[in-house]
Parts: sequence; C-alpha cells; structure tokens
Amino acid sequence: MEAKEPKKFIVPIGPQHPALKEPGHFEFSVDGEIVTGASIRLGYVHRGIEKGTEQRNWIQNIYLLERVCGICSHVHAMAYTLGVEKLAGVTAPPRAQAIRELVAELERIHSHMLWLGVAAHEGGFDTLFMYSWRDREVVMDLLESLTGNRVHYSTNVLGGVKIDVTPELADTIRKGCDFLEERLQHYLRVVTTDETFLARTRGVGPMTLEQAELLGAVGPTARASGVTRDIRIDAPYASYAEFPVTVVTDNGGDLTARFVVRIKELFESCRVIRQILDNMPESELVAKVPRRIPAGETISRVEAPRGELFYYIKSGGGDRPERVKSRTPSLCNWSTISTVAVGHKLADMPMLLAGIDPCFSCNDRMIQIRRKGHEDQLWTWEQLRRYGIEYYR
Amino acid sequence: MTIGSMIGDIVESLFKKPVTQQYPFERKEAPERFRGRVHYEPGGCTGCQLCVKDCPAYALELITIDKAAKRFVMRYHMDRCVYCGQCVISCRFSSLRMAHDEWELAATSRSPFVIDYGLPEDLATLHGTEAEPEPDACRNV
Repeated sequence: MEAKEPKKFIVPIGPQHPALKEPGHFEFSVDGEIVTGASIRLGYVHRGIEKGTEQRNWIQNIYLLERVCGICSHVHAMAYTLGVEKLAGVTAPPRAQAIRELVAELERIHSHMLWLGVAAHEGGFDTLFMYSWRDREVVMDLLESLTGNRVHYSTNVLGGVKIDVTPELADTIRKGCDFLEERLQHYLRVVTTDETFLARTRGVGPMTLEQAELLGAVGPTARASGVTRDIRIDAPYASYAEFPVTVVTDNGGDLTARFVVRIKELFESCRVIRQILDNMPESELVAKVPRRIPAGETISRVEAPRGELFYYIKSGGGDRPERVKSRTPSLCNWSTISTVAVGHKLADMPMLLAGIDPCFSCNDRMIQIRRKGHEDQLWTWEQLRRYGIEYYR
Repeated sequence: MTIGSMIGDIVESLFKKPVTQQYPFERKEAPERFRGRVHYEPGGCTGCQLCVKDCPAYALELITIDKAAKRFVMRYHMDRCVYCGQCVISCRFSSLRMAHDEWELAATSRSPFVIDYGLPEDLATLHGTEAEPEPDACRNV
C-alpha cells in the first residue's frame, strides 16, 4: 500500500458470526471507534422460491410463499391469495376478509413483540428481552388456538380462509388483548423513561423525513421519521376499509422513535382486533375459485409488520403461475443503514441493524443486471457445479 | 427519568412458581385446531386425486387397487408433510382429517414415516404384490 493513501480500518462482521442470528456480511470502516462507512452484502440464504412457484400449481404456491418469511408468514400468503383472487375476478366473502385482517393484526403483535425483545437484547437490556418474549407467548398461544399452528398459520385458501372464529375463541382473544395492552403500556414506559436504555437509543441513527423518502424506507422505520405511509390506510385491502386503523407516526427519527412507533401500533392493532370481533360480518368462508386462473397480470400490496410487501403475479391461463415476484420490506430498509451508520460508534451498530427489524431470508432475491455488450449466459447444472468446485479449491 | 425500571418485574417473578413444564412427564394438551398427523378413511374416496395434486410437499400418494370398485390405498409420507391442512380442505368427500393429539411423531429412521391407509384386504393386496417401500423412495419426488 502506498504511504500517501489514507489508511482505512475495516471491521468485517459475518456471514457467520456469533452475534448474528441470520447470515449477512457487513463491513464497517472505522476511524478509531467512529464508523465512517458501511457496506452490506446479502444473498447467503437465497432459496429460489420465486422460481419454485413456476413449478407448482396456484394452491401449492400459497404454502410455498408462506415460507418466504417465518415471522410474517400470513401476510405473504394473504398478498398472494388477494392477487390471485383479483386475477380470477373473485372476491372473498366479507367474513373471510375480516378473519384475514384479524390474523394479520395478531401476527403484527407477535412480530413487533419479537422485535422489541431482539432490539432490547442488542442494546444489552436482557430483562426487557426475557419479559417481552414471555408475554409474546400469550399472542402465540392465541394464534395457535385460532389457526392451529404457532408459526405457519396456513389460514388462507384461494377464495377465503379455512378457519372460523367461534364466540369462545373471540372471548379468549379479547382477554389476551387486555393482558397484552397492560404489559405494552409498561414496556412503552420502560423504553421512554429508563435512563440507561435511553442512553443507547436516544439520538442514535437519526433519519430525517427527507432521508427516509430518499432512501425508500418503508413501514415503522419510515413512520418513525414522520412519513405517513401505510398500505392499510392508503390502499385498503381485505377488510381494512370496514375496520380501519389509524396511522402512527413519530418525528424523532431515532431508535427511541422506532420503539415508540412500533409499540403504539400494537395498541392500534388491539383496538382493531376488538372492533373486528364485536362486528364480525356473517357470511360463508370461501368463494369458489377456478383451478385455472385466466391469463393476465396483477400486483398486490399489503402492509407487513415491517412495511410494504409487494407481489407481482402473472398468469398464462394455466394451472400454475408464469411469474411471481415479491418485494419484501426488509430489503427496502437496508439502504438506510449505510447512510445512517456514518458518524456513530461501532458499538451502536448492532442496535442500528436491529432497528429496522431486518429479516434476512426475506431479502434474498436474484436480480439480473443486463449490461450493454454482455451476452446472457446460460449455465447447466454440471457447469455450475464445476465452477463452484473450482471457486472454492 | 428512572433507572432500573424493570426491577419491579424481577422482584414480582421471585415469588412466582416456575412456568417450565417437566415435558415428557407432563404434557400440555394441544389446542383443538392443532394440525397433527393426517388420517384417511377409504369410505367416501372417489380417487379424484385433488389432495395429491394440491399437496405442497408431495406427501400423499393414492395407489389404485381397483378403479371400478373405487378401492384405493393412501400412502402418506409423514416426513415430507408440512401439516398445512390443504388436503383436508381439498377433499370434497371428507375422507381426510388431521388429528390434533398426534404430534409426537419423531422417529430414528425414515421407514416409520411411510404410512399406508386403506381397507385391510386392499393393504394385503398391495403388500402382497409390492415390496415394502425403500426409505430412499421418498427422494423420488
């Protein structure tokens, strides 16, 4: 290295690292303890799900796409089924739509409480982590007794839902919401008043409204910077038109604001869950959807716990899709990190990363960049294998 | 501004019983809707194969013994099953159901996971003419 070049010290983290729960590679260039640049590399858990959908029929794909994400499995299946129903020209009955919204809001509670625990853990506040996860079990049990599973609820079918809400179940959910609301009030108090914890979050990673718009942030990450954008309100789907939610924003833009926005969203979720249970429309649960979906293309947008989830679905008129593309919210939020990280201490990085509620396996898509003068290459499995062996030799 | 705002929770927990269950000795009952092992009743089955076509994990095989007499054997690969419940929804004749109390399904080899459901005489016909499925047969999806 030439002596004149400014010396850079790079701290690499991952893809395998004891502090990371999922594989991702981060490079932070530091000057002493202060981060001067950050870069992110993803793609270690690419599973080829989008391609996989082209080999399965419309019904099988519900369950494949549900597995894009383990935390927000219901919204993926809901976005896909809403899109396919739109293509088929079928609308699910009102009760089915209300149940979809109910499960989606319960899922939001479990997802945000999971995040609350993880973010507190990254900040070294393990007491909050343990207690918020203990209380999260309440909503997990509610989801299990309502849908039959803790993680992959498999509630959606084409044209409706599989499960109904009985009056007894509705009472259990109401009681669960009462308990959760009380606990969440406590946690809101903790994250906004505990001095030790505020020292880790207040003023860390501030993102202005302009930055959030420019970097394409979505979901609670954007709303914590004052962006009033929420698909549930902007483009209501399922039964969000009948049972609306109000958007929760904060102007802080820092980590404290993200805690506040996410917890306040849960009060809103609890409120709308009660509203749905009290005014559940009466109708059948499933509308008939043909096995072959008419040719056409459509988009479908829903608000996942992490932000806007986007699906593009193309049908050629057969019993399986020609193309399914999904854009998950985590991917949109990554770009905020590399900008916001600059100027902070290296020790703040885990909290900053956790602050956008990243979901690694959701991110991993393959993109093809077409450049002029470069021919497309088609490799066989054998060639790829040989290339892989050579690469790692 | 406070310091140690969660000390109250910790002190409260000191006086509570542990919530951990001694699992193999005490079992928490699964909820009524829990999706466990799939069961097949050959009675109403017409052999329409919708369950086989819609299974996202390719866990079901319907073996025809006698098509005219509507006699079928359902081969269920429990290790491939993702317990989504689509087969139960797809079946128009209520031949399939999921047991909520059968969830301890682990085994040390693959062979116990291949389960044949059907009338005893059909199973005898099948097993008389066909050898037991190899554990590796599960790979040929």
